Amino acid sequence: MAGPSNPILSHTIKRRPGVPRGMMLERLFFGWWTAGVFAFLYVPILLLVVFSFNESKLNIRWGGFSLKWYEALFSNRVLGDAFQTSLVVACLTTVLATALGTIGAWMLYRYRFPFARLIGLLIFIPMVIPEVLMGASLMAQFVHLMKLPLGYTSIVIAHTTFCFPFVLVGVQARLDGLDPALEEAAMDLGATPARAFWHVIVPYLMPAIVAGALMAFTLSFDEYIVSVFTAGEAQTLPLKVYGMARVGLNPQLNALSTLFILATILLVIGSQLASKRKI
Amino acid sequence: MKRAQLAILAAASLVIAACDKPAAPPPPPAPPAGTSTSTSAATSDGASASSSASASSAAATPAVQTSTPAGADPASPDEAKKLRIFCWSEYIPQSVIEEFSKKTGIDVSVENFASNEEMLAKLAAGGGPYDIIQPSEYVVEALVRENALEKIDHAAIPNLKNIAPEFLNLPFDPGNAHTVPYMAGTVGIVVNTEVVKDEITGFKDLFQEKNKGNIVALDDAREMVTWALLAQGLPVNDLSDENLAKAKALLSNWIPLVKVFDSDSPKTSLLNGDVAMGVVWGGEGALLLIADKKFRWILPAEGTHLFIDSLAIPKGAKHPGNAMAFMNYILDPEVSKKLSEEFPYLNPNTAARALLAPEALANPASFPTTEQIQSMQMFKDIGERASVVDELVTTIKAQ
Amino acid sequence: MAAGLSIPVEDGVVRRRPGLRAWLVMLPLVLWLAAFVVLPSLMLVALSFAEQKGIGGIVFSGTFRHYARVFSEPVWAKVVGTSVWYAVLCTGLCLVLGYPVAWFIGRASPRRRDILITLVMIPFWTSFLIRTYAWITILGKEGPLNAFLMAARIIPEPLSLLYTPFASVLGLVYNFLPFMILPIYASVEKLDGSLIDAAHDLGAGPLRAFARVIIPLTAPGIGAGIMLVFVPSIAMFAITTLMGGGSDPTIGEVIYKQFTSGRNQPFGAALGTILLVIFLVSLWITQKLRKSR
Repeated sequence: MAGPSNPILSHTIKRRPGVPRGMMLERLFFGWWTAGVFAFLYVPILLLVVFSFNESKLNIRWGGFSLKWYEALFSNRVLGDAFQTSLVVACLTTVLATALGTIGAWMLYRYRFPFARLIGLLIFIPMVIPEVLMGASLMAQFVHLMKLPLGYTSIVIAHTTFCFPFVLVGVQARLDGLDPALEEAAMDLGATPARAFWHVIVPYLMPAIVAGALMAFTLSFDEYIVSVFTAGEAQTLPLKVYGMARVGLNPQLNALSTLFILATILLVIGSQLASKRKI
Repeated sequence: MKRAQLAILAAASLVIAACDKPAAPPPPPAPPAGTSTSTSAATSDGASASSSASASSAAATPAVQTSTPAGADPASPDEAKKLRIFCWSEYIPQSVIEEFSKKTGIDVSVENFASNEEMLAKLAAGGGPYDIIQPSEYVVEALVRENALEKIDHAAIPNLKNIAPEFLNLPFDPGNAHTVPYMAGTVGIVVNTEVVKDEITGFKDLFQEKNKGNIVALDDAREMVTWALLAQGLPVNDLSDENLAKAKALLSNWIPLVKVFDSDSPKTSLLNGDVAMGVVWGGEGALLLIADKKFRWILPAEGTHLFIDSLAIPKGAKHPGNAMAFMNYILDPEVSKKLSEEFPYLNPNTAARALLAPEALANPASFPTTEQIQSMQMFKDIGERASVVDELVTTIKAQ
Repeated sequence: MAAGLSIPVEDGVVRRRPGLRAWLVMLPLVLWLAAFVVLPSLMLVALSFAEQKGIGGIVFSGTFRHYARVFSEPVWAKVVGTSVWYAVLCTGLCLVLGYPVAWFIGRASPRRRDILITLVMIPFWTSFLIRTYAWITILGKEGPLNAFLMAARIIPEPLSLLYTPFASVLGLVYNFLPFMILPIYASVEKLDGSLIDAAHDLGAGPLRAFARVIIPLTAPGIGAGIMLVFVPSIAMFAITTLMGGGSDPTIGEVIYKQFTSGRNQPFGAALGTILLVIFLVSLWITQKLRKSR
């Protein structure tokens, strides 16, 4: 990632003595605001975690500490399989959507394609279209036009289709205001457009690409309605969770969420430690 | 570094995916072709007897069925040991499915729907082919009429004899040519007696101005119209413009009183204390009564309707033999008892009822009296009127 | 800045004519759009001129009656209005809540940035249904929030927060907040710190520096965030139905019902097509306006 070593794109906070008062206030105010928003984001999560240890099945009465829901979860093959399926689908979708979105954003930005305006409109369709319509029309297409059996392929295609516009829009925003001198400098030094893209532009776009990938993963992992129509035998977690939650929230779902959050936090900490050691 | 994180995530998922998911518990030692559903030694008599009976009768099945199921060679009783079930979510306990799988060695996959119409939509759109579907009575009527169901062989389903006679040979499927009953139920009123002190006997008592903001109702347009029709003594299947206008007049007053519309889990808002009364499914009512003595179940004085969910085999099913084995398995009293324990609806299986605990049988929300059942109407398919009904309710809600 | 560059520059953006290689690179995206966006959309439009018969068979009859129905009965316009209103509220609140967070994270040290941005996303890797049910538990009359407020003697009686428009909007905001934070964060992250230092140094109060310098600089991120929240939230329905009680139908719910209890898929397709057309036309007009400025 471009750091202090890149004089053109210096975007680190300069810590100087005598930081102006305006900046201190800004830091303080935004710091507290962020803390408040994080509290808002995590209150339901806290509830989930706490009640995953609840002896009682009801979500509002505390009946004592118990690990029984975790035991039940481990022997629940339906949820386990569904979780695995969701993970695989989400990862595949993320890779495809990020690739399509990033490359699309860059090509549209860089080259004068005759249909650029049209594409700019078309990519919004998967975002605005009600999910049930997208699911139904894709299902009709897979089954009747393409004779594709519903399963992993169909669901990944469907998810990618509505995820990549999010990546594209995010990357486009980051491209806005890109200094043309950047690419020019790389080309002057003998790089082909492709090389310039990979070694100069992509690092610049990284935060937007990662943001897009995170959005794509979240959208795919959590998608319900489009999956209803296109999953076939690849039953994802939301499909099963929806059914379970419908009849009253099962604390096994709390346990599942807690485990997943724990795993993700460990993953993040792990990769942080890994990178620290590299330096 | 972010790239590393993403790579780890992707790699982890691929590793997990690569780990072999056991498709089903290993089947019992493979018997020679011909007895495709023989079972392992230590099983309950009912299940094994019926399974081997279905195996031998599977050979005779093609002669009885009027159409040859696609994908199955009529001459050989060998179907692949698979079963694709398309059912309501949370209606067939997972333990029941796993038991069936273990006993017969059949690999079962399950897909769910949240409403009859969703099931129809997916069937029509080409989802499947499924081996077992779980339609309600009015949908069975429509499916039979459109010739969309396979005929079933009663010889393969001896446990059918366990069903109470009043649930057999019903107008929507004469002679049970295509379906076996799964569960029945009603719709009724539940009241939190700690909060509500009035006597509520029916819909008119419930939907009063003073109960505004304290009611939960099923989010089902046809249900709501039905209650309005019942309250005026009109037949529930006569959805003429005139009757709908009368229903609309009543619903215009009723709907604004409702705080929560919920067809999936109406008991949630009652248990959480956000509302104190409502119109809910019988099974939900039963669960409420079990959860807390403060809840009372009232069958509306103006009348209610009886619904029956059945198991059926859609046309084009690839494993009809396995499907019928599953049907027979569900009708086994021990298995049916498990269904009732998890989903306390009206169990039509008399042999299973004999096994239930007395409190379960005494639960008025699960088991209305015979006279009450006889006074209930049953839904018929309303076809395109569904759209008009839906618009009627949406219009009132949007005001 | 344009002087001295060998690549043609228009409005400060380098635009080349695409060569063969560029076309090849662009091909997958174009094919994907054609196959999985354009084609299904056309099928949808075709569906809106068909009729649903019997148990769900679709008969193409070229009828306009679904469109006639949409325009002749005011309830559908009302439902769209409700949805748009919720979307506007949601987007506005997400912007107000999310901008400072995106700002703070974008300007933090690289290590902290990564942790914080991932922490923003983690709650959204639990199923939205589970999260929504968690909120239902929290906001209920006998839930922890009311219990806390009562114990702290802030209110005499439990508040009826759940199954109200307030709860619907809260659910929407909770669900869409990361989609506002992420694009703005990406925009903030590339800001040149020296510009902001300069603004502060030159005596601009924090508010002035913000309004005059910072917001314009992060405009692309804000624009992206607004698009990514407003557009999908119009057709969102499960959350508003679950948390709002279902008494205020939204267009997403109405269309979904046409595929289930309404038994009228073509009508749902007509509603969806109209929604799409309205949206695309608005977008096209906005783009035209921006060009002409």
